[in-house]
Amino acid sequence: MIEVDLALTVDGTGTDPFSVRAALSVADGETLVVLGPSGSGKSLLLEAIAGVREASGSVAIDGSDVTERPPEARGLGYVFQEYALFPHRTVLENVAFGTRYHESTREPMAVLDDLGVADLAERSPDTLSGGESQRVALARSLVIQPDAFLLDEPLAALDAPTRAELRGVLADTLADETAIYVTHDRTTARALGDRVAVLDSGRIRQIGSAKTIFERPASPFVARFTGANCLPRRTVPPSLRERFPEATHVAIRPEHVRISDVETEGTIRGTVVRAIREETAHRVTVARDDCRIDVLTDRPPSAESVAIALPEEHCHPIEADEPQRADQSLL
Amino acid sequence: MSTAATVSTGRNGRGPIVVVLAVLTVQVIALALSLAAGRPTAYALFMLASAAVLAYAADAGPTGVAAATLGSVLLVALAFPLALFAARQDPTLVAAKLTDPAVHRMLYLSIYAPLLATLFALVTGVPLAYLLAEGFPGSTVVQSVVDLPLVVPHSVAGIVVLFGFGAGGAFPRLSVLGTVVGAVLALTFVSAPFAVDGAREAFESLDPAVVHAARVHGANPISAFLRVSLPLSARGILTGAILTWARAVSEFGAVAIVAYTIRFFYPPAGEVVRSAHAPVFIYQSYLSGSLAESGAISFILLGVSVAIFLAIRTAAQERGRVL
Repeated sequence: MIEVDLALTVDGTGTDPFSVRAALSVADGETLVVLGPSGSGKSLLLEAIAGVREASGSVAIDGSDVTERPPEARGLGYVFQEYALFPHRTVLENVAFGTRYHESTREPMAVLDDLGVADLAERSPDTLSGGESQRVALARSLVIQPDAFLLDEPLAALDAPTRAELRGVLADTLADETAIYVTHDRTTARALGDRVAVLDSGRIRQIGSAKTIFERPASPFVARFTGANCLPRRTVPPSLRERFPEATHVAIRPEHVRISDVETEGTIRGTVVRAIREETAHRVTVARDDCRIDVLTDRPPSAESVAIALPEEHCHPIEADEPQRADQSLL
Repeated sequence: MSTAATVSTGRNGRGPIVVVLAVLTVQVIALALSLAAGRPTAYALFMLASAAVLAYAADAGPTGVAAATLGSVLLVALAFPLALFAARQDPTLVAAKLTDPAVHRMLYLSIYAPLLATLFALVTGVPLAYLLAEGFPGSTVVQSVVDLPLVVPHSVAGIVVLFGFGAGGAFPRLSVLGTVVGAVLALTFVSAPFAVDGAREAFESLDPAVVHAARVHGANPISAFLRVSLPLSARGILTGAILTWARAVSEFGAVAIVAYTIRFFYPPAGEVVRSAHAPVFIYQSYLSGSLAESGAISFILLGVSVAIFLAIRTAAQERGRVL
C-alpha cells in the first residue's frame, strides 16, 4: 500500500516555475499507472516518492510514514526509462547490488533466470540490447524484494516488438506487486493499469479504473489523451443532445463508432480525411465541422462522404469548465 | 603510402599501425637527411608538403588538404623545435648528466614534490569537486576562487604563498622558505585547479539516474559515492591528476620565489640534501653553465615526464573497466 500526498516545484523551461501537486493511493498488489504527456511531471512525482527529489507533503508505504527517510530506507524498487545500470559492473554485480543492504533478498541468478537472461550474467551492461538491459534493471529491483515498485517509462526506449514482449514480462512480474508505473503510452496504461491516473501540467485530472478512464473520461483532455473521440456539443446528433442536456462534449472510443449505411436521426455526416491500416483494423478519420472523428472499422468506406453512428450506450457526456481547452488538444 | 589501404582507413584517423610507422619512419629519415645536409628548414617544408600529400592520398578533398596543410603549420611550430631539440643533443653529455648524482637528486625532488602536491590536491579537491558538481548556494563564487590561480601570474602566486604561509602568515611555526613544505604549497596553489576541475567535470557528467538507482536499491550517500560515483568518475579524476602533476612538474615562477633551492631528505643517500625543482635547476644550469648542459638536463627531464605520463595512461587502460 502506497499513500502519497506531495507537492514540489522545479525551475520550469520558461520563466514560470513548474509545480506538481498530487495525492494518490495504491492498494496492495495493485498497479497504478500515471498516464500523462511529456513534461506533465510524471517523473518528478516518481522521484519525489522515491526520495531522490525534494518535495513537501507525505509518503507512506505499508502504513509507515517514510517521508523523512532517505531513498535507501523506503523499501522501494525503481526501474528507469534508460535502464540506469551501473556501467562499471557486470550484469550479475548489477543485479546483486542491493543484496548487501537488505536482509531478505532473492538469489540474483535465480531472478535473472526467471527473466530469461541468466546467460548474460558475466556480460558488461554496455553490450546489452535495450530489452536485455531493461530485464536486468527489473531483476536488480526484484532481488531486494521491495514493498513497492516505481517504474519510470521502462518501455519507452525500446523498439515495438521488444516493447510488446517486455510489456508481457512486466504484466507477469507486477501481477501481485504494488507498483506505480508512469508512462505517456495509453496502450501500456490500459494493458498494465489496474487503475489509471491521468496527469497534466502537474495535476491529476482523473483517477479511476482503466475502464473508467478510457471509456468515461472526465474532461476533453483525458478523452483525447486516452485516445477517445471528443465531440463538441454542436457536432453530435440532436438525439444525443437531448439525452445529455448538460454535456459540453460527448466522448466515444473509436472502436465504438460505426460507419453507417443508412442515414438516420442518430447519425451525422462527415468527410473521410484518411484511412490508415492498423494492426487489426482500419483507422478512418472523418471530418465534421472542425472536429475530427476516428473510427476503427474492418472495412474502410469507399465513398468520400459517410454517415457515422454514435451508439448512445457507448457515449459518455463531459461537462467541461473550459470549452476552449478542448480544441487545443495535444493530439 | 598512397595504397588503397591507406585511402580506406586514413579518413577515420585510425589507419593500421603499419601506415603510422611508415609515416614516422619517413619523417625521421627526412629529419636526419636535412640535419646531415645542415638545412633544418628543408625539413619544416617537408613536413608541410607531406601533410598535404597524405591528405591528398587519403582522398580528403580540397578542404581536407587545405585543413591538413594549415594544421601542419601548427604541428611544425610545436613538433619542429622538439624534434630539433632532441636531434641536437650531445649523447655523451646526456649520458654524463644521466649519471650525475646532482641530477638524480633534482629528478627525485621534481617527481616527489609534485606528487605530494597532486595527492594533497586530490584528497582535498575531489570532495570539493563533488560539492561543486552538486551545486550549492555560492558555488559559483567558490568555483571562481578555485580557478583564480589559473589567472594569477606565477611569480605573484609565489609572493602570495609567502605572504600567506611564510613568516607572519597563517601558520607561524611553519617554515616554507626553501623547504619541501613551501615548494608543495606553491605547487598546490598553481596546480590544484586542474584536479578540482577534472573531478568536477567527471561528477557533472554522471547520469543522475545511475546514482539514484544506487540510492533507491539500498546504498547510503557515502556507499553510493564510493561504489558508483567515484569509480565512474575515475577517468576524469585521473586526467585531472595527471594535469595537476604535469603542471606542478613544470612550475617555475612560484617555486623560484618560495623555494629557489630546497633542503629535503633524500632516501638513496639517507641524508638531508639540497637541490632545486627541475625548471629552477635547469634555469640555474643555464645561467651558470651552458646552453648545451641545460639542454641535456632538459632532455632527461622531458624523457622522464613522457615515460611517467605513458606509464600512468597504460596502467589506467589496463584497469579498463574502472578507469
